[in-house]
Amino acid sequence: MAGTLEPHLEALRRELPAAGPAVLSVLLALLAVAITFLIWRFVQGRRSSRKAVLLLGLCDAGKTLLFARLLTGRYRDTQTSITDSSAVYRVSNDKSANVTLIDLPGHESLRLQFLERFKAAARAIVFVVDSVAFQREVKDVAEFLYQVLVDSTVLKNAPALLIACNKQDVTMAKSAKLIQQQLEKELNTLRVTRSAAPTSLDGSATGSPAQLGKKGKDFDFSQLPMKVEFVECSARGSKGEEGDADFEGLEKWLAKIA
Amino acid sequence: QEGRWQGLYGGLLAAGDPLAMIFLPQERGGNNSFTHEALTLKYKLDNQFELVFVVGFQKILTLTYVDKLIDDVHKEFRDKYRNEFQQKGTLGLLNGTFDFKDDFMRLLRDAEESSKVRAPTVMKTFEQSLKSQKTVKCMIETRGEKPKEKVKNKKNKGSKKEGIEAVTAPGKASAGDKQPSAAGEKEELTKDEILQKNREEFFKRHMKAGEKSRSPKPEAQKEKGKKPRVWDLGNSNAKVLDYSNSATNGSAEACPVEEFDPDIVRKNGPGRLYDLEYESDDEAEEEKVIQNPSKPSAKKGGLGGMFGMLKGLVGSKSLTREDMDPVLEKMQDHLIAKNVAAEIAAQLCESVAKKLEGKVMGTFTTVTSTVKQALQEALVQILQPQRRVDVLRDVMDAQRHRRPYVVTFCGVNGVGKSTNLAKISFWLIENGFSVLIAACDTFRAGAVEQLRTHTRRLNALHPPESHGGRTMVQLYEKGYGKDAAGIAMEAISYARNQGFDVVLVDTAGRMQDNAPLMTALAKLIAVNAPDLVLFVGEALVGNEAVDQLVKFNKALADHSMAQTPRLIDGIVLTKFDTIDDKVGAAISMTYITSKPIVFVGTGQTYCDLRSLNAKAVVAALMKA
Repeated sequence: MAGTLEPHLEALRRELPAAGPAVLSVLLALLAVAITFLIWRFVQGRRSSRKAVLLLGLCDAGKTLLFARLLTGRYRDTQTSITDSSAVYRVSNDKSANVTLIDLPGHESLRLQFLERFKAAARAIVFVVDSVAFQREVKDVAEFLYQVLVDSTVLKNAPALLIACNKQDVTMAKSAKLIQQQLEKELNTLRVTRSAAPTSLDGSATGSPAQLGKKGKDFDFSQLPMKVEFVECSARGSKGEEGDADFEGLEKWLAKIA
Repeated sequence: QEGRWQGLYGGLLAAGDPLAMIFLPQERGGNNSFTHEALTLKYKLDNQFELVFVVGFQKILTLTYVDKLIDDVHKEFRDKYRNEFQQKGTLGLLNGTFDFKDDFMRLLRDAEESSKVRAPTVMKTFEQSLKSQKTVKCMIETRGEKPKEKVKNKKNKGSKKEGIEAVTAPGKASAGDKQPSAAGEKEELTKDEILQKNREEFFKRHMKAGEKSRSPKPEAQKEKGKKPRVWDLGNSNAKVLDYSNSATNGSAEACPVEEFDPDIVRKNGPGRLYDLEYESDDEAEEEKVIQNPSKPSAKKGGLGGMFGMLKGLVGSKSLTREDMDPVLEKMQDHLIAKNVAAEIAAQLCESVAKKLEGKVMGTFTTVTSTVKQALQEALVQILQPQRRVDVLRDVMDAQRHRRPYVVTFCGVNGVGKSTNLAKISFWLIENGFSVLIAACDTFRAGAVEQLRTHTRRLNALHPPESHGGRTMVQLYEKGYGKDAAGIAMEAISYARNQGFDVVLVDTAGRMQDNAPLMTALAKLIAVNAPDLVLFVGEALVGNEAVDQLVKFNKALADHSMAQTPRLIDGIVLTKFDTIDDKVGAAISMTYITSKPIVFVGTGQTYCDLRSLNAKAVVAALMKA
């Protein structure tokens, strides 16, 4: 490679003085701009390296209330989110550790769009599940979870995953163990049906969707490349709106992540 | 009053969820009101701080001050809490107390008062009107003047000149009185006054002429009578109008026949068509001519335009409607050129405008790029449906319950129902499910034979031996002319007895305007309660897609007895290989029904079945 460069360098060296000082100064200026641009890009890339914790889940799972409780500790009436909200969360014991909590809307038309936007910056994902309505919604929950898990960026970065079984203050809520079993069964079926679906329009881009877990064996959360934990919590809290929320498990996990 | 507010508030909270869930994200934000049960909701978006203001009131009331109220509330709220939004961001929103109740009550009271109906205007009494101020003299009609007054109104020139003398005399007398009164009460001239004023001015103009011709008038009057109307060409003879060359008719030399050049014909070969000859030279000339006058104007605007562009690039200015309008127009035309239905393109652009109005642009973003970005997001959102239809998953579920999964195909004539039905059955067989095809198209000639051929081919591709001895595909048909709903019902019970996994019901194609056929289809679907109702539409359709889907859905809803009628659950988009990138039909169809596109047909072989890739479609749509 040096051999091919040398004649070029020679030619450059011969031409530059001939060109005149004006052209030289212009070239130097351009070089300076290019270097600053590269440095700026590098720094930006560094800064926005994954510090975000995404709150995902179906509609009405309790993400926004969880978000508000974590940040302010108070109860707030919430509406269905139609856009994302983000804020910096300081871990209670450690002053220096902080993460950016991002609450994404769960509505079907919006969820994938917002996931696209924020998935690259995700250090961890909290998947909030409505434990009361779980029996009814098992298929939808599994479908969304599947979509999150097979996403190429998520597979590459392997952010830590916490499945928060919310609304435990209600008596009919399912336990985390039951939810885990059901999800594993459902995801097992899903990975078969999804890979059998007709190929996408421009088959080149997606190719065959990534295989979840190990082939041949039943799907298990331990087969995933990222760490998965299940935790029970209640954003509303057992004492109602005035009291605190019950989510020590969640807070401990966040402290671990930060 | 408190109780009333509480009730409404509860209703509003309950309605707010559907508003957010159904309305706003679906890009239907064209008009800003929305009804839910007993409430009407009007909303306003603030895009700068990402706020939504919603006002709810009972549907039966028609309150005229709501729009004004919502604007006032928006302005006050924004001004009062501007700091909190700008500085503290999300935490400010969460932590802040927004004590706006007193301000809101005040604004509400103001709005209510301003809208109170004004008392109807009192009629003027006789003394107040101008008529009483006219002198009596001008209102007296002498016998001589009366017919002249009447004649005045006609447009005959002669009589007008006569009438002038009658009016000038009283005109001069009453001019004195009229002037001050006219000047003083200019705003309240009644219609009569205006008429009279106009007449006076007209006569004043002709007064001089009238006086001169006073003397010869009597004779002229007698002579005139009725003058014949003169046509422009009426006097000229037929000779002048005859443009035909008298020599040509009958003589052979006048129009020389072109020399028949046999070589020209031979050049392209006998029977071949001539190629199109492009006259590019003429067009180029025209373009040059047009460009030249526009160049100087471009130069003049060049400097100013460049400065404005730089300012727009760097500064952080908020988007206004005027900025966005030209871009939106262009985008709307672009969408329509890509085969999106016209009204849907308009609605889309309208909702994007509403979403972006007042938004602050970042640095180095132009209006065009912001609008394009927003439009792209809106399109992707539309194509990502409410609930993804996973056929295989649902078939597995039905298998577990030991009942067949029933899919019905409906659509207008010739869209590809039978072809795509065969493709889908091939796909299902490949995945190991047994299929029963119900031939409920009892009208079209050859429909049953077509399905029989498909069945034979599919069975040849997947013989029973390779699937444990059971036939993967079977056809259930009862010939032609029978009732489709009855055949469907029999097919489903046959499938249940024989243990088939899926039943695919093929119906006859029908125009959406054909009421009896739509009723028959609705009956088929209502009676048999299929698990999936697929509407088959071709990608070539343009504005028709809107009409088809709306009418199909309406027919299904009208003729269903159930509380929640079965509507179209999914769309099959066929003939996708015939359109290059004019993929607008996909947008039109999903926009109208909010249901997903389940399959895309891209050809006539069994393997040409695809699923929709929203991003690819939107990329093709936005490509210039």
